[in-house]
Amino acid sequence: MLSIRNLKVTVAGKQVLNGLNLDVKAGEVHAIMGPNGSGKSTLAQVLAGRDGYEVTAGTVTYQDRDLLALAPEERAREGVFLAFQYPVEIPGVNNVYLLKAGLNAIRKHRGEAEVDAFEFLTLVREKMQLMQMNESFLNRAVNEGFSGGEKKRNEILQMAILEPTLALLDETDSGLDIDALRVVSNGVNSLRRADRAIVMVTHYQRLLDYIQPDHVHVLTGGRIVMSGDKSLALELEKRGYDWVKEDSAAA
Amino acid sequence: MSLSAINQPAAALDHYRALFASRNVPDDALGKLRRASLERFLAGGFPTQRDEAWKYTSLRRVESRRFAPADAMPIGADESQWIADAGHRLVLVNGRYMPTLSTPAPQPPGVTILTLAQWASHSPTQVADFLARHDHAAPHATPPTANGAFEHLNGAFSDDGVVIDIAPNVQFEQPIYLVHQWCMPASARSAGSHMANPRIIVRAGAHSECSIITHWVGDETAESLTNAWLTFDLGVGARVSHLNLQEEPSRSFHIETTRLQLATNAHFGKHDFALGSALGRSGTLVTLGGPGANVSLNGLFAPTGTQHLDTYVHIDHAAAHTTSQQDFRGIAAGRGRGIFNGKVVVQPGAQKIDARQSNRNLLLSNTAEIDSRPELEIYAHDVKCSHGATTGQLDPVSLFYLRSRGLGESEARALLIRAFAQSMLSTVQVGAVREWLEARVQRRFDLSAGEHS
Repeated sequence: MLSIRNLKVTVAGKQVLNGLNLDVKAGEVHAIMGPNGSGKSTLAQVLAGRDGYEVTAGTVTYQDRDLLALAPEERAREGVFLAFQYPVEIPGVNNVYLLKAGLNAIRKHRGEAEVDAFEFLTLVREKMQLMQMNESFLNRAVNEGFSGGEKKRNEILQMAILEPTLALLDETDSGLDIDALRVVSNGVNSLRRADRAIVMVTHYQRLLDYIQPDHVHVLTGGRIVMSGDKSLALELEKRGYDWVKEDSAAA
Repeated sequence: MSLSAINQPAAALDHYRALFASRNVPDDALGKLRRASLERFLAGGFPTQRDEAWKYTSLRRVESRRFAPADAMPIGADESQWIADAGHRLVLVNGRYMPTLSTPAPQPPGVTILTLAQWASHSPTQVADFLARHDHAAPHATPPTANGAFEHLNGAFSDDGVVIDIAPNVQFEQPIYLVHQWCMPASARSAGSHMANPRIIVRAGAHSECSIITHWVGDETAESLTNAWLTFDLGVGARVSHLNLQEEPSRSFHIETTRLQLATNAHFGKHDFALGSALGRSGTLVTLGGPGANVSLNGLFAPTGTQHLDTYVHIDHAAAHTTSQQDFRGIAAGRGRGIFNGKVVVQPGAQKIDARQSNRNLLLSNTAEIDSRPELEIYAHDVKCSHGATTGQLDPVSLFYLRSRGLGESEARALLIRAFAQSMLSTVQVGAVREWLEARVQRRFDLSAGEHS
């Protein structure tokens, strides 16, 4: 589904990704772990199409298409979803309005009719229940005045409604207490499907207790230096990132 | 500088002197006031940008034209420009009150609506007294010069207008919807530049309540100057809300002076929306004259294309325990230019004042400009005054967030612009008017969202 080859990215003249390779197949859950500043968030942002990141080399192929050639909205309509590390507060834009506008943009792209108002409300109610969110959130401005945990839940709510093919989760566990982490993880787990892939970027192993990955990668110095199954995450937790750095330097 | 450029201002004044002479103004009390206004106008001429209150607005285009009252009257008017169901409707066309287009009497008890002419013929001395009292050249009046030349010009050429009297303790719930429309029959279109000098006088008795909507529209063929003068005189404990919606045609000039006089515990709320005209100036001059008086002003100015929209506010805290709030937003697109100048004066001895001012602006292109100028003059020591101003572009992170959810770039831009405007639109209480405004603002910004650079 997603194939990244030799990806090199600079941000403000500084090399952040330095020849990254990654393959993700449908149905898989990948965790990308790494120390601060290793390029994890850059990877997520570049895949979603954020401005200010310059790709200097490499390719990203998503469902046989050149992902990097697409505008952010085209990626979203093709099924790419980024759950932000810091969800943006947008005063004056209604939460439910954004959900509906996003869903309709994607449906239109697929040649489907706009969502029926009743159907939409039923869908939103069901997903809000899953995320244990009060309905009052619908008519509040997007993320405005939300707590850290509410913002993260809102991201997963959007994801549950937009039903992406490739979900990118950028530090979704950061700032969550244990109860919120459980709710958010439940939301993510409910979206696991054979035709959907999930890529989680995280600093801590903790999230992986709740969302079990098929593959774990270690990103440091702008490259994936080690890959394994979920036992790799446990080993990292025990031995720290310095172990990987030393190991990869030796190799 | 060429000789003709030096002479131009004088030539403009000669035009208005000759125009006045041709209009056979009678020598009664009102006529004397008009003549005095003319003399003051001629003595001072049009303000220049050396005048602090006009620092950002050049009047050269207004000065270079030879405006004359429009005498030709159309038979009908374009009703599609009016807001249906906005309230008790009063229509002025080309500066003249049109009874046949207005909501007919009877008026509810305690509410008197007259034309200026009717008022003058019923009670000429009252009119003369009122105008003399509100004549800004009188020594007690403040502030002296902000819109002075245009007030004098209005005083000299004001042929018509509306006087609204609300008796003490009367609550008039239905909004009064006053629409001024430029409407030129084909035969008058080539006849030069037209001006209207309407006067709107609202006298709200003690503890009365009313709501006024003024709406300025016109057909696109008119090259016109609307030079309006509005006075609101609020008695003790009176509450008045005023919604001002300026949608003049694109070749017109719109200068408006609103004078507010508030007695003890009176409350005035104004919502000011400046969307139309080539050059627009909204001047709101407030005197808080008794303890407990409160004025709340907010609004949105949104120049696009080459529009120039100037909002000037002067609030005079003349009594202790008075409060004021200003909250204005500007959105400029294309080569549009917006100005917000908010001045607050706290007079000596006026303690326990609370005055707040906020101005937030959004620039949608590299060629748009907004100048924001807060001014505070405080001559008392026990006061709370705050002001804040920001000007910026659309937030790129917000744009990316919306696009990452599937919204197209211009749709995302339009949504963020509307969201910025929404906080002003949502303050409008009258549903029909709010919906009208929302549709207007949406259409305007959906267009300008695409033309960024």
